[in-house]
Amino acid sequence: MTNHWIDLKNADAILAIGCNPAENHPISFKWIEQAIDNGGKLLAVDPRFTRTASKADHYAQIRPGTDIAYLGGMINYALQNNLTHKEYVAEYTNASFIVNDKFAFEEGIFCAFDDQEKSYDPKAWAYEVDGAGLPRRDKSLQDPRCVYQQMKKHFSRYTVEMVCSITGTNKEDYLAVAKAFCATGRPDKAGTILYAMGITQSTHGTQNVRAVAMLQMLLGNIGIAGGGVNALRGESNVQGSTDYGLLFHILPGYLKSPEYDNVDLKAYLDKYTPKAKDPKSANWWGNTPKYTVSLLKAWYGDNATAENGFCYDYLPKRSGNYSFMKMMEKMGKGELQGLVCMGQNPAVGGPDSLATREALGKLDWLVTVDLWETETSIFWKRPGVNPKDIKTEVFMLPAASSVEKEGSISNSGRWAQWRYKAAEPVGDAKSDLWIIDKFFKGVKKAYEKGGAFPEPITKLAWNYGNHEEPDVHLVAKEINGYFTKDMTIVDGPKTLEFKKGDQVPMFKYLQADGSTVSGNWIYCGSYTKDGNLMARRDSTDPTGLGMFPKWSWCWPVNRRIIYNRASVNPEGTPFNAKRTVIAWDLLEKKWKGDVPDGPWPPAADKEGKHPFIMLPEGHGRLYALDLKDGPFPEHYEPIESPAKNLMSKTQSNPAVKIPANMSSDMSKYPFIGTTYRMTEHWQAGAMTRSLPWLVELVPTMFVEISETLARTKGIGNGDQVRITTERGSIEAKALVTSRLKPFNVQGNMVEQVGLPWHFGYAGVATGDSGNVLTPSVGCANTSIPEFKAFLCNIEKGGKRA
Amino acid sequence: MTAAKIIYNEVKGYHNFVKFLIVLVAAGAVASLVRFVFGLGVTTNLNDTFPWGLWISFDVVTAVPLAAGAFTLGAIVHCFHIKKLEPLVRPAIVTGFLGYSLVSVGLLLDLGQPQRCWHTMVYWNPHSPMFEVSMCIMAYTTVLFLEFLSPVCEKFGYHVPLRLLRTIEMPLVVAAASISTLHQSSLGTFFLIAVDKLHSLWYNPLLPLLFWISAMCAGISIIIVEATMSHKWMGQPDESELLETLAKILPYVLTLYLTAKLFSLFALTEGPMFDRPGLVALFAVEMIAGVLAPLVMLMNGNVREHNRLRATAAWLVIAGVILNRFNVSMFGMEAPGTLYYPSFIESVVTIGIIAAHVLFFVLIAKYFPIFEHHPETVDYSIPDSFHKTDKGHAAPAKGLAGEA
Amino acid sequence: MSEITNDFSKNKAFLIDMTKCTGCRGCQVACKQWNQLDAEKTEFFTGEGYQNPPLMSEHTFTRIKFRDYQKNGQNEFAFYKEMCMHCNDPACASVCPVGAFKKTAEGPVVYDAKRCIGCRFCMVACPFGVPKYEWSKALPLVRKCTGCYSRIKEGQKPACATTCPSAITYGNRGDMIKEANKRIATRPEKYLKKLYGAEEAGGTSVIYLTALPFDELGFKHVTKRPLPSYTWQALRLVPGIFLTVGGSLSLLSWFTHRKDRLKKEAEQRDASEKAPKEES
Repeated sequence: MTNHWIDLKNADAILAIGCNPAENHPISFKWIEQAIDNGGKLLAVDPRFTRTASKADHYAQIRPGTDIAYLGGMINYALQNNLTHKEYVAEYTNASFIVNDKFAFEEGIFCAFDDQEKSYDPKAWAYEVDGAGLPRRDKSLQDPRCVYQQMKKHFSRYTVEMVCSITGTNKEDYLAVAKAFCATGRPDKAGTILYAMGITQSTHGTQNVRAVAMLQMLLGNIGIAGGGVNALRGESNVQGSTDYGLLFHILPGYLKSPEYDNVDLKAYLDKYTPKAKDPKSANWWGNTPKYTVSLLKAWYGDNATAENGFCYDYLPKRSGNYSFMKMMEKMGKGELQGLVCMGQNPAVGGPDSLATREALGKLDWLVTVDLWETETSIFWKRPGVNPKDIKTEVFMLPAASSVEKEGSISNSGRWAQWRYKAAEPVGDAKSDLWIIDKFFKGVKKAYEKGGAFPEPITKLAWNYGNHEEPDVHLVAKEINGYFTKDMTIVDGPKTLEFKKGDQVPMFKYLQADGSTVSGNWIYCGSYTKDGNLMARRDSTDPTGLGMFPKWSWCWPVNRRIIYNRASVNPEGTPFNAKRTVIAWDLLEKKWKGDVPDGPWPPAADKEGKHPFIMLPEGHGRLYALDLKDGPFPEHYEPIESPAKNLMSKTQSNPAVKIPANMSSDMSKYPFIGTTYRMTEHWQAGAMTRSLPWLVELVPTMFVEISETLARTKGIGNGDQVRITTERGSIEAKALVTSRLKPFNVQGNMVEQVGLPWHFGYAGVATGDSGNVLTPSVGCANTSIPEFKAFLCNIEKGGKRA
Repeated sequence: MTAAKIIYNEVKGYHNFVKFLIVLVAAGAVASLVRFVFGLGVTTNLNDTFPWGLWISFDVVTAVPLAAGAFTLGAIVHCFHIKKLEPLVRPAIVTGFLGYSLVSVGLLLDLGQPQRCWHTMVYWNPHSPMFEVSMCIMAYTTVLFLEFLSPVCEKFGYHVPLRLLRTIEMPLVVAAASISTLHQSSLGTFFLIAVDKLHSLWYNPLLPLLFWISAMCAGISIIIVEATMSHKWMGQPDESELLETLAKILPYVLTLYLTAKLFSLFALTEGPMFDRPGLVALFAVEMIAGVLAPLVMLMNGNVREHNRLRATAAWLVIAGVILNRFNVSMFGMEAPGTLYYPSFIESVVTIGIIAAHVLFFVLIAKYFPIFEHHPETVDYSIPDSFHKTDKGHAAPAKGLAGEA
Repeated sequence: MSEITNDFSKNKAFLIDMTKCTGCRGCQVACKQWNQLDAEKTEFFTGEGYQNPPLMSEHTFTRIKFRDYQKNGQNEFAFYKEMCMHCNDPACASVCPVGAFKKTAEGPVVYDAKRCIGCRFCMVACPFGVPKYEWSKALPLVRKCTGCYSRIKEGQKPACATTCPSAITYGNRGDMIKEANKRIATRPEKYLKKLYGAEEAGGTSVIYLTALPFDELGFKHVTKRPLPSYTWQALRLVPGIFLTVGGSLSLLSWFTHRKDRLKKEAEQRDASEKAPKEES
């Protein structure tokens, strides 16, 4: 989130699109209700009338996979009706930047598209630069090649009529939502957009988020209290997992993971350190060398020196896409020897479950680490399979639960809250830290006897204490970072002295010369000489905006609302005096309020900086430069779609390769399928389907269908049904409800089938897995699978009827 | 001969009907054991929607008014001093004593924690009608027991206790009537709190009064029926003349009931009365067959003098009271769409209890001086306040009980 | 026995704003956890929406009832938290023959299992149908929400109130009613202008705010008079009736037997008069 959970109470309008906070983040409703009590409007946009919709002021039905049409229509609505925050757009976004004259867009395809490779060359979308190398700009926003005009032209096609015929939304409902939300373009109004998997789990997921960000920039909602682009993360510590680089394409702190053609540290740093010519651009990623070197020092300690490129050569180099789907694909071809699943259940959680379960059988060995037996850990004795036919050796390691170990959990709002250990783990269960520690020590010992290229393991620095349980505080301190030698640092008027071993107080003191260690630069400042700031529990809230600056610690540098320099005008005066996030005190010449996004004076000052400090141009990108599928979001249909793309001749995202087992044959699969989660169960269900109190609430796999679909197929509430896609078929009980309705797709009423994906064959409450049905195709940028929109068929009855 | 042999021979000589009753009672006892071992949940059809079922409706709410003959007749004979009805008193007391004892058995079976039944004597809640009823029933059963002791003492010739008992006879009768008034009406008070649950056809503030009056109707009717059947099947004297007198009293009490009921329906009842056809039907049967028909019949002297017709009218009243009590405690309390019916165990137990009542009545009548007017073994030289009737000596006839 | 005080404004009470309830069932599970209740065996949903279990029972002291229907073409997905109402003048306490229920000074109506004889009158009497029975046991007791009395004594809030993120507020009854009325006044378009539980059964410790009419959500229609008053209007006459019936019957007996007594005295006088005559 750019903002945080409690900040939701400050919103005048809350747009919940592609998410269901009432059901999946129920505690957030405390804050959403406060916003509503203060006159705020909740707007729910969802294929189903969910528990969130039941509390909303307006509900709009949306066909799965059509979010860009929906949001594009709102962007157009805001532009056409002059509802944008003009000063914000002109000063803080790249609206005024001029795009190079080769840029083009035709029938759904941007320029520089390679039809064979199915990829774009993003360099073709660059800004036009002047002699000094700075992008040319037209502050009046009139130049036809400026971003503003290009954007306006692009989204002029997203009229309300066009958009509603794509999304199937009722026009009144659409306009009610658009009107209510776009009213927050006023400087004294704040609108927040909440989103989750409904937005991300699509072949154009990243562009969905881009559309959200664009709308928010146009309305001036980023960086202000009650605003923001707010992802509702799906697990309690998934924010932590992405912060620490557990995705294939990043290193801790969102540094890029090196690829095979980043041959050495210098090449890597040259490629990924952006250069900015604008002196008013903070260009914070320009500090990449400091963070990278500090990270390498954390990993390799004294072995990492300037001479050996800080052991950069020991890092594995990626050659392409190592996403989950690709891994499963490789595994299915027998190209993986072994797999370690820590708190992960691919047999239920990933798309095309049947293929995954088959693929697991091709491994030589599998290690699962979990609190319960999961479908993955017992894949070898799943129903319909003879264990004698499976050669995989499976190790199941029992893991401690989060209350049985000490550590931090980073929530969606970037707050890293330290938790104490409340209970001893049961039986042989161990903390993940202990398990990884033992793993490392065992592997290192094996490597010391020989093996190919042992140094990346044997040279690792591993200083987490000498007790049986590694000291998580030592881990946290290393993540924060410390000085490897005595240092004197001049910071403006101050001169600071540090001793070797001192904790680094904040990431601006990290160095590229090896004199600092930091396991994750964005957490630098979380564990300083003042102690473990993540453990703070001071509930004072001086601004009344719910920032609670002394409760826990958030990254970066405890800044509660990021991009908050955009909450004030270039002179430093807050746009909304009633909700002041930061304000420039002219007398003291400093910022008051939240931790400012950099201490520099306001943008208008000669020492000032632009607010979007993480981008080289310092301005928010209405027009993106470096995504795989275009600088502007464009509506495409999901790969399996019941409709022709009305926007252009390009049916689906051109940058996505379509795998074999997909089908848009409506005669076989006439209904739209979508998957989702419930309050009562958790993810792949391992954590909840063996808890009787939760099983009592939702005991069985079920699907939700509309009353009309039920009538057509002769299905009664509670009847056994069979749902089929090109990937496979499952059985479930049918829940017939008026909360699901068919979509008007170009004159035809197309029904939907809603499926929770929590069930599997392991645990106490078993059932078929929703993901047996979902397709193994994903976002062009992130590879997140398109779980949310596919085609299926449903029939009454089944083997268990 | 050993005692067992004596008992065995005795039982062998019983009429088949009595033997059949013994079987029913035994079955009821077995069912009760099953209930105690396995618990209410397994053996009954009671649940959270129907916490009270057959055992409360019949064994408590119905059996109590059916045993009301004792106090009614006691009051009529000893307070109103209609001496000629005196021979009916003892059988009524036996019926009462047996009835109330079996009510206690039924209650013990129905309580979830029967081993704690003594708690009402230690933990008091005077605001609870059930507390009041439980105190009254304990007191009244004691009174009935003392009244029943008279024939026992007479049989075994315990003169001193007999004298004592005869001294306290009047106070016991007054106490019996007062206590009975309280608990017969309090059974109705039970349901006053079910203001949003009991259907308007029965719910009104006069429920206690109605229960008291109908108890008296039931008591009188039971005596008519029991005397008629004792004469027919047990060879006891023909008390037709006495029963005619009772049959004359009964319509007055029925009229009192009808008046009170109509007043309560039209002046005191709130809420819809005719919205549930099933309940309207039950109400109609209860009022027409149970009150109006016998009332009309008994207003006719011929009916009152005819054994069969008189007994039929009494049966109708009894049936009406039973139906009324079931209507109030069961049918009228059922929310629309719900239905309770008793389980096999519940039914066997209740049938066993009814069979026990009949069985023990027959056996007590056989072995104790309940029906004799001038029993030779009674020493009437001991002063007492009774005047004997002049019907003459009637030799005890042979009948169900075998020998005299 | 119930301790009936007239001022219940200092009692603790729940304010449950059903317009803020999202039907998450955190309250249901928190209650089960705190009271260590068993889970019920369910096969599918029972009722509308995701409702489970089908009824409150010995294993379920609180339950969210779902309503999933359409009204004037609009979807209604609404929720109602069923629970013990902790009445100010509880019917259960008044009918229990051994006084096993008590309205505490703090607010909750608590049950003393040690006294219970299992007569189940409380179940018949409660207009809300709250007390449930341990039908699964051979020696059953009554089960119902305890108002988390042990937690309240420690200065904590009930488990359900602690867990609920949005709908439940817990505090003094007077304050809860004030707050409820304030919410209605501030957002009149959002709320039904009536509170459920403020006057029902003579006033309870659970005050509900809703948007939908009560019967649509599944609230029972309950009299506004305290239930015990219906019984008391008859029971209070008991001593009087006893004395009246006893007294009048005694008086009657004295009169009716008087004639006999006089007759007997006359006979004895005659006999004694005759005897000497015969002798002489």
